[in-house]
Formats: sequence, C-alpha cells, structure tokens
Amino acid sequence: MIGDLCMHLADLLQNSLRAGARHIEVGIERRGDCLVLWVADDGSGFSEDGHQRACDPFYTSKPGRQVGLGLPLLCQTAEQAGGEFSLRSPEEGGTRVEARLPWDHPDRPPLGDPLGTVLPLIATSPGVEFVVRLRHDHAAWELDTREIRAALGDVPLTHGEVFTFLEEEFREGLKLTGFKEDE
Amino acid sequence: MKLDDLRKIRERVQDELRLRGGTARVRVVVGMGTSGIAAGARQVLRAILDEVSRRELGDVVVGQTGEKGLASHEPVVEVYEAEQVTVYGDVDPDVAQRIVSEHVVNGRPVQGHVLEVREVDG
Repeated sequence: MIGDLCMHLADLLQNSLRAGARHIEVGIERRGDCLVLWVADDGSGFSEDGHQRACDPFYTSKPGRQVGLGLPLLCQTAEQAGGEFSLRSPEEGGTRVEARLPWDHPDRPPLGDPLGTVLPLIATSPGVEFVVRLRHDHAAWELDTREIRAALGDVPLTHGEVFTFLEEEFREGLKLTGFKEDE
Repeated sequence: MKLDDLRKIRERVQDELRLRGGTARVRVVVGMGTSGIAAGARQVLRAILDEVSRRELGDVVVGQTGEKGLASHEPVVEVYEAEQVTVYGDVDPDVAQRIVSEHVVNGRPVQGHVLEVREVDG
C-alpha cells in the first residue's frame, strides 16, 4: 500500500498537522551507510500509552476512527529493511519520529519524490512553519518557511510564481546534496 | 535561498491583487489523509498547483485537509465557490488538471467524478 519512503514522510507530516503543530522540522539525510528520515514537531505529542502503542496498528488517537496505520507501517518498513524506528515525546512537548534504514538493504523502499511530497504540504498549510533539512554526508541544504514568509508578506506560498520558485530551489537543494528521485 | 527574488515576486503580485480587489474567488482543497496519500493525493495536489501556476490564477487558493470518510473514493478534491461546494472522487492528475481548466476556469464541472454538490447558506 505504501510504496516509497516519501509516502511515509507525507503521512508523518499529516500526523504532525493533525496534532496541531505550528512548527515542523523534516529531515532527509544520508548518514554513512544509512538513509535517515525524521520529523520533529511541537504538536500535542504522545502520552506514554500512545508512545508504547505507536507501532500497534489497532491504536489511533483520532476520535471515531478504529485504526491508524501510519506509524505502524513505517515501523514495519524500517524493521523489514534491517533498520530502526524511534518515537519520542519529550516532556516539554511535541514529537520526534525517526526511521533509519540501511542504504543498500534490498528491502529498503526507494526514497520516492521528496519535492512532490513535501512542498505541496508545506505550501498548503498556512500558519504552520516548516524547516526542511537535506543532508548527504557533507553537503547540506535548508529551507525555512519563516524566512520565506517574511520575504513574501501576505502573498501565499501557493501563488503560482512563488510555488514555481520554491520548486526550483528545492530541486537545486536535492541536486546540491546529491539525492535523486527514486533513489 | 534567493530571498531577493521572492521580494520581487511579492511586489509584482501585490500590485496584481490590488487591481483585482484582493479576494479569492475559488478554494480547491485536496484530502491528504493516509488513504488519500496511498491513493495518489500527492500527485493530485501537485497537478492542481501546477495547473493553477501555469494559468497564473491569482484568485484561486489551494489547500489540503485530512481524511473525509470517503476512503473508497480517494483521492478526493473539493471545490469551494460562493454558492456551492463540489466534491470530486477518484481523482487522478489528469482529472485534477481538468477540474482546474474546466470547472475553476470555465465553471463546467468535470462529469463522471462528482460525488456531491452542496449548497452554501447565505
């Protein structure tokens, strides 16, 4: 059902938005032999119970819903590829989810399309600030919506010219850090 | 990030908005919950943003929301206009593009994909 890692990423971002986060950081990094994806937010976080049950497919915090598959699926994907999954809700609030997958493991799904996944979600979430960090060993690139919104004033990120500009910047970032689509 | 380029876009766009009175005419919302994403909502949102961008539709706002309980018809797209809300189901990037070019621009709903039309009060 979930074919690439960026679909998991989109799912994590939806979790953060639903938890009322106003600030979300997203990382796509190559660290040595691993591909590391992480999302950190200042949303409502998990209670200890929620924390324990994040990998349980029959647990959800959404009222009126029976199951929430996002975290258990990522958990499963990471484990099947010989990697690790962690979820932390620090006392000061928020949540940090991280999946670390061995780069060359045959069961690691492809990265997918970071630009097409992350940018539309960012552009269509007014009032939520995002930081995107791409890192590939020594090369790093960062996008910060506070900086962008300060330059734009009340012009929305979904405005055609702005969105095209952001796509170009993001593409440059991917090139700079050496990530390729479907890697 | 070339922030100066963004400042230039801002100046240009604000002038355009002033000429038009500054309000959005149509809001297009894509359901981006887990089932929507698995069914291809990312590509749909992307197709809508691309089409809005290509046609320079400054009076169209694009947004996203979580699940809508219409999982069997994902990806779902809603078009909010002054008088009504049109809910589309089983949308792919091609249909998404037509929702913008035919419905949003020309006021003709895309046949075969409308799940529901709701009147808006007042």
